[in-house]
Amino acid sequence: MKALTANRLIDGEVVFWKSGQWIERFADAQFFADDDAAGPEAVQAALAQSRVIVEPYLIDIVEAPGGWAPVSYRERLRALGPTNEPTHGKQAEGGAGVEAILAATGAARSTGRVDLIRRK
Amino acid sequence: MPTLIRLIEGRYEAAEDVFTDVADEDVTPDGPVILSLARFQAEGDALISAGRKVGVRIQSDEEVETLAYDLPRLALVALVFPKYRDGRAYTSARLLRQRLGFTGEVRAVGDVLREQAGFMVRCGFDSFAPADGSTPAEWAHAAGRFRHVYQRGADARAPVFEERA
Amino acid sequence: MYRYDAIDKEFLADRANEFREQVGRRLAGSITEDQFKPLRLMNGLYLQLHAYMLRVAVPYGSLDSRQMRRLAHIARTYDKGYGHFTTRQNIQFNWIKLGQAPDILDQLADVDLHAIQTSGNCIRNTTADPFAGATAEEIDDPRVWSELIRQWSTLHPEFSFLPRKFKIAVTAAAKDRTAARVHDIGLVLRRNRAGELGFEVIVGGGQGRTPYIGPTIREHLPVGRLLSYLEAVLRVYNRHGRRDNIYKARIKILVAALGRDEFARQVEEEWSKLDSALADAPDTELARIRGAFTPLNFEALPATSAAFDAARAADPAFARFARNNVKPHKKAGYAIVEISLKAHHATPGDASADQMDVVADLAQRYSLDDVRVTHEQNLVLPHVKLDDLPTVYAALQAAGLATPNIGLISDIIACPGLDYCALANARAIPIAQSIAQRFEDADRAELIGELKIKISGCINACGHHHVGNIGILGVDKKGEEFYQLSLGGSGQEDASLAQILGPGMSAEKVPDAIEALVDTYLSIRQGEERFLDTVRRAGMAPFKEAVYADAH
Repeated sequence: MKALTANRLIDGEVVFWKSGQWIERFADAQFFADDDAAGPEAVQAALAQSRVIVEPYLIDIVEAPGGWAPVSYRERLRALGPTNEPTHGKQAEGGAGVEAILAATGAARSTGRVDLIRRK
Repeated sequence: MPTLIRLIEGRYEAAEDVFTDVADEDVTPDGPVILSLARFQAEGDALISAGRKVGVRIQSDEEVETLAYDLPRLALVALVFPKYRDGRAYTSARLLRQRLGFTGEVRAVGDVLREQAGFMVRCGFDSFAPADGSTPAEWAHAAGRFRHVYQRGADARAPVFEERA
Repeated sequence: MYRYDAIDKEFLADRANEFREQVGRRLAGSITEDQFKPLRLMNGLYLQLHAYMLRVAVPYGSLDSRQMRRLAHIARTYDKGYGHFTTRQNIQFNWIKLGQAPDILDQLADVDLHAIQTSGNCIRNTTADPFAGATAEEIDDPRVWSELIRQWSTLHPEFSFLPRKFKIAVTAAAKDRTAARVHDIGLVLRRNRAGELGFEVIVGGGQGRTPYIGPTIREHLPVGRLLSYLEAVLRVYNRHGRRDNIYKARIKILVAALGRDEFARQVEEEWSKLDSALADAPDTELARIRGAFTPLNFEALPATSAAFDAARAADPAFARFARNNVKPHKKAGYAIVEISLKAHHATPGDASADQMDVVADLAQRYSLDDVRVTHEQNLVLPHVKLDDLPTVYAALQAAGLATPNIGLISDIIACPGLDYCALANARAIPIAQSIAQRFEDADRAELIGELKIKISGCINACGHHHVGNIGILGVDKKGEEFYQLSLGGSGQEDASLAQILGPGMSAEKVPDAIEALVDTYLSIRQGEERFLDTVRRAGMAPFKEAVYADAH
C-alpha cells in the first residue's frame, strides 16, 4: 500500500493527501493499493498544486498491529517528528495513530523515494 | 519573438532584435546574424568582409578568448546560459569587457531570469533575452535592488570602500 | 569587533527586501520552486524533514550580546525555543515557516545579522579561529581577513553561480582551530623569512564523498594581494569545475584531476593578468577593517588572581572546569572560557533561548561584549578576567552550560542527522548521546584525555567525521541505521583523514565499540600520548581486533 506525502509550501509542515486535500496526520491519510492508478494520478494532481505544496511523492506503508505506518525509517520520522525531542513535531499529539507508527518495526528503504540522496 | 531588453545609457528598454539567430544546420539569411563559434570560424571572415553585421554565440563551455582577434569586427557576442545555475557566462562577460576590451553588445541568452539581472549587469551584459517574460521595468527593478556593491565588477559602480573614502 | 556602518546596514535592508519580494513571487506562483530554490538557499533557507531550516550567518563566529539576544528572540518567537550551532560557526533554526522568513530576516538585519550565502553554490561563511584577538599565539588577527573576504564575496556578481558551494577558513595560530586543511581554500597566516606577513594558500581540501587534505598551492602570498589571488582561484574554478555531476563539482575534484602543480600554474597565470590596483583592496580599506579589531581596553592586571586560585582550591568541580574549559589569554589576568554545548543528555550544539540570553549577559558583563562560535559546536567567551571566573562559572552552571568536557570524549560533534535533515541516511544525535552517557564519569573522561569524536548522518560529512580521532558515519543498510567507525583523523594543523576500522554496526553496538577502543588506547598508550597519537603509532590493528574480537 502507499500514501502520498509532501511538505506544505508556506510553513514546511509534513502533509498527506486525502481526497484532494492536504492533512497533517498520517493516520488520516488516504491509502492507495500498490497497483491502483489513483496513486500516480494523485501525484499528478499534487504536482499541479505548486502554490500549496512542494515535492509530492508516494511512500510505501505497512500494516502493523496498532495501525498503518510508513515502511521507511525516514518517513516514520517525517510522520512523527525528531526522536531527540518527543515534545516537538506531530508525535506530541499522541493518540492511536502516533502509537501505531512508534510501535512499527521492520523498517526498510522506501521504494517510493529511491532518489533521496541525489537531490540537491 | 521573445522580448529583447537593452541597457542603453543606464535605462532598460524594450528593443527590436535586428539579429537572426542562425542554427548550425540553417542557411545564412540576409541581415545581421548570430552564428555559433564553429560556424563563425568557418564563414565569419567572409560575411564581415562583405559588410555584414555579425555576432557570435558562445556556449558555456566555450572560451571567450577564442574571439580575441575578431572582437573589434564583431557587433555582438551572445553568451548562453544553458541553465540559470551555470555561472560560466558571468566570467565570460567580465573577460569580454575587462580583459578583451569588447565594446559591442554582450547579450544574455538561454535560461535568463529576472532574479539574476543584477549579477548580469554587473558582469557587463547590456542586453537580455529573458526566458521568464520579464518586462524592461521588471528587469530594471531587479537589477537595481541594491544601493551598494561590495566589490568591483565590469560595470561602473563604485565598490563600497570607495563610497566610504 | 567590526561595526556595521550605514552602508552595511542599507545592504542588509536591501537584501531583506529582495527576499521578501522573491517569497511573494513564489507564493503568488510567478516563479516555480525550481527557480525559487537557489534564491531561498542563497538566504540560508532549506526545506528539511519537518519544516524549513534557516541558517543564520555568524561571520567568522563572532557575535555581540545584542546579536545573541536577537537570536534568542528568533528562537522563541519563530522557532521552538532553541537553536543549533554548526561546524561552520553559524546557527541554525530547525522549525521555520517560509511565510515568516522575510520578517525574520528584517529582525536579523536590525542587529546586523543575516543569512546571506549560507547555502547555495556560492562563497559561504568565511570562518576564523574562534580565539582570534585573545590568543597569544596568533601571527595576526584572522578576523581582519575574514571580514575582508566576507565583504568581497557578498553578492559577488561573477561567483554567485559556481559549480558547487565554496568554503574558506582563515587561521593565524600554530594550533589550527578551523580545520583549514579540509576547506576549499584554507588561508594560514605566516611571516616569511623577511618577516613579511603572508598567507600559505591551501586549495582543494574537503570532506564529503571524497575527502582530501588540501595541497598548498602557494607558500607565501603577501597579504595585500589576497583578493586578487582569490579572484584567480575562483575564476579558474568557475570556468573549469565540473558541472555535469554534483558529486564531482567541488574544487577539490578539479585540483586532484589537474594535479597540484598544474592547478597552481593555472591560478598563477590568471593572477598575473589581474591589475592589483583594481583587484586588491586599497590600503585605506585594509586599515579601516583592521581598526575595527584593534586591541580592546584590557585592564592592567596581575598574572594570577587570588579569587580564581581560592575558588579552585575550594571547589573541585570549579577546578575541573578550569582545567578543561579555560585557556590562556594573551593578556595577564585574563582567560578564554569555552562554553560546552555538549551536556551529556542534550543535543550536541543546541542552546535554548534562555541559555543564549545567559551567554549574552555574561558576554556583555564579563567578556567585553564578545562571544564566539567554534566549528566544534561550542561557544567561547574570549576575554574573561580570572577574577570573574568563579562568578561566570556559577552563572554557566545554573544554566546547564558548565559541562567540563571541552576536547574530551563527550565533547562530540554531531550533525542534526536523520532527526532533522532531508539529506541524512541515519540519525547522529542519539549516537552522540549514547556515547556521552556511557562516558559520563568526569574522572574517566579526564583520564582518557583529548579524544575528538565526530558523527555524520550521511556522506556529506557535516559532522566532519573524516577528521575525527574517531569518526562515525551513519549509513542506511536495508532500512536499518548502521554506523561505520573510522580512526585517526584530525582537523588541526596535523590534518589527516580517518581510516575505516571495519564493517558497520547497529546503533546499540556503538558505545561498546567506543569502550573497546578506549580500553585499548589506555592499555597501550605511552607517555603523554593522546588517543590520536596512539592510533598513529600503533596502527589500526590492535583497535580493529578489540572492536571485532567477537564475530558479529
